[in-house]
Amino acid sequence: MNFRDVELLSTYLDGQLNPSDSTRLESRLKTDLELAAVMDDLRAARGTLRQLPSRRAPRNFTLTAKMVGLKPPLPRAYPIFRFASVFAALLFFLSYATNLVAPRLSATSAPYGYGVGGGGGCSEEEPCEAAPALEMPAAPQEPFAATEAPVATEAPLLAEAPATTETPMATAALAMAPTQMAIAPTEMPLTAEDSARVVETPSAKNGEPESTNGIPPEVQNEVPVSYIWLIGFAVVAVLSALVAYLLRLSAIRKWRRRVG
Amino acid sequence: MNEPALIQDAQHGDLDAFNTLVLHYQDMVFNVALRILGDDELAADAAQEAFISAFRSINSFRGGSFKAWLMRTVTNACYDELRRQKRRPTTPLEPDTNDGEEMDSPRWLADPNMSPEQEAEANELEHAIQHCLENLPTDFRVVVVMADIQGLDYSEVATATRVPLGTIKSRLARARLRLRECLQGFEELLPASFRLGERRSV
Repeated sequence: MNFRDVELLSTYLDGQLNPSDSTRLESRLKTDLELAAVMDDLRAARGTLRQLPSRRAPRNFTLTAKMVGLKPPLPRAYPIFRFASVFAALLFFLSYATNLVAPRLSATSAPYGYGVGGGGGCSEEEPCEAAPALEMPAAPQEPFAATEAPVATEAPLLAEAPATTETPMATAALAMAPTQMAIAPTEMPLTAEDSARVVETPSAKNGEPESTNGIPPEVQNEVPVSYIWLIGFAVVAVLSALVAYLLRLSAIRKWRRRVG
Repeated sequence: MNEPALIQDAQHGDLDAFNTLVLHYQDMVFNVALRILGDDELAADAAQEAFISAFRSINSFRGGSFKAWLMRTVTNACYDELRRQKRRPTTPLEPDTNDGEEMDSPRWLADPNMSPEQEAEANELEHAIQHCLENLPTDFRVVVVMADIQGLDYSEVATATRVPLGTIKSRLARARLRLRECLQGFEELLPASFRLGERRSV
C-alpha cells in the first residue's frame, strides 16, 4: 500500500471518487485487510473531527459605516460649488497679488523710460538733476525742511556739480518742489537719496505733480484688475464654499438618519 | 434569506444587506478562524477583519459559492494573523482569568446542557483535537478545517484556498493520516464509536 492508496481512500470517504475507481477500490477493500484498516482509521479521524462542537460567535461581527470607511453619498452639485469656491478664491488672490505687484514693477522700470526722451539722462557732460537738489535747502518756507536735514548736509557734495547747465524748466520744477514734497511726510519719511531722485525726475522738471516714492500717479491709480472684480471673486468664493458646506452637512445628516 | 439579492445590494454599497449576510455566516467564519488559529480572541479579530475585507472587495465576487468566497477572505485573514504571530510572542490557547491565571476548563467551552463530567470530557476532547490540528502544517490545517469540520466540498475548498483540486485531495489525505496518528495518543478521550485501531505503518 502506498500514499496513492491513502489518497484514494480519503477521496472515497468523501464520496468524491469516480464510479469506476470506487468499484475497483471496494473490491480491493474486501480482500486487502491492511487497506480496510487504514480506511477505518481515516473514517474514525474524520468522524472525530466532525465531533467538534460548532461554537457560536462571541459577538456580532456586523459592520458599521465607520469600520469600512463608508462615506455618505454627496449631492451632484457639491463638487461644482466646491470647485467654484476654490477657483474664485484662486482668482481673488491672483488678482490681489497682481494689483499689489504691478505698480511697483512699472515704477521701477519707469525712470529708464523717462530717460530715453533726453530730459532724464544724466552724464558727466550733463549733470542736470544735481543742480536743483542743491538749491532745495535754499527755498524759503519749505515744509519738509526739518525732515530733509540730510539733504542739506549732503548739499555741499552736490554743490560741486556744475549747475551752469540748469535750464529755466529746472527752476520751474524747483518752484514746484515744496508743494509736492509737502505730501511726503504723511506717507513716508524721505531720505536724502529719495529727495534727490524726486527732484531729478523729468516730471518734476515739467512741473507735473508726482508722488514721493517715485511712482507716477497714473501708474499708481491704474490697477490691472478692478476692485469690483476682486470683490466679486471674494463673494463668489465665500458663497460657493457656504453652499457646498451646507449641501454636505445636509447629506451627512440624512445619511446618518438612514444608517442609524 | 435571498442571498443573491443581498449580495447584489451589498455590491451597491448597502451595508445593511451585507450585515444580514454577516449574521448568517458569522458563526461559520468564527469557527473556521478558531480552528485555524486556536485562540478565541485572535479568531474573533480575524473574523472581523475577514468581514471588513469581504465588504471592501465584494465587487470582486463574480458568482459561484459565496460561502467559499467568504472562506477565502477568512483564510487570508488567518494567514495574516499567523504571520503577525511569528513576529511577536505567542498567546496561550486558554484565556486568562481575572487574576491572570490560565483557566483549566474555560467557561467559553462550556455547554449548559452537559453534566459536569460530560463537559469535562468534551473539553478534553476538544483540547486534544485542537492540539492535533495545531501540529499540522498550516496549509493542511486549513484544508482539513474546511472539509472535515465545516463540511465544504472539494471544489469549495479549492476555491477558498486557490489550490488545485488534486492538491486538496492530497493535503486532505495527508492531514487525516497525521491526525490519526496524533489522536491515537488521546484514545481514552475519544467516543467508543471513534476509537482508532492499532497503529499501522503506511
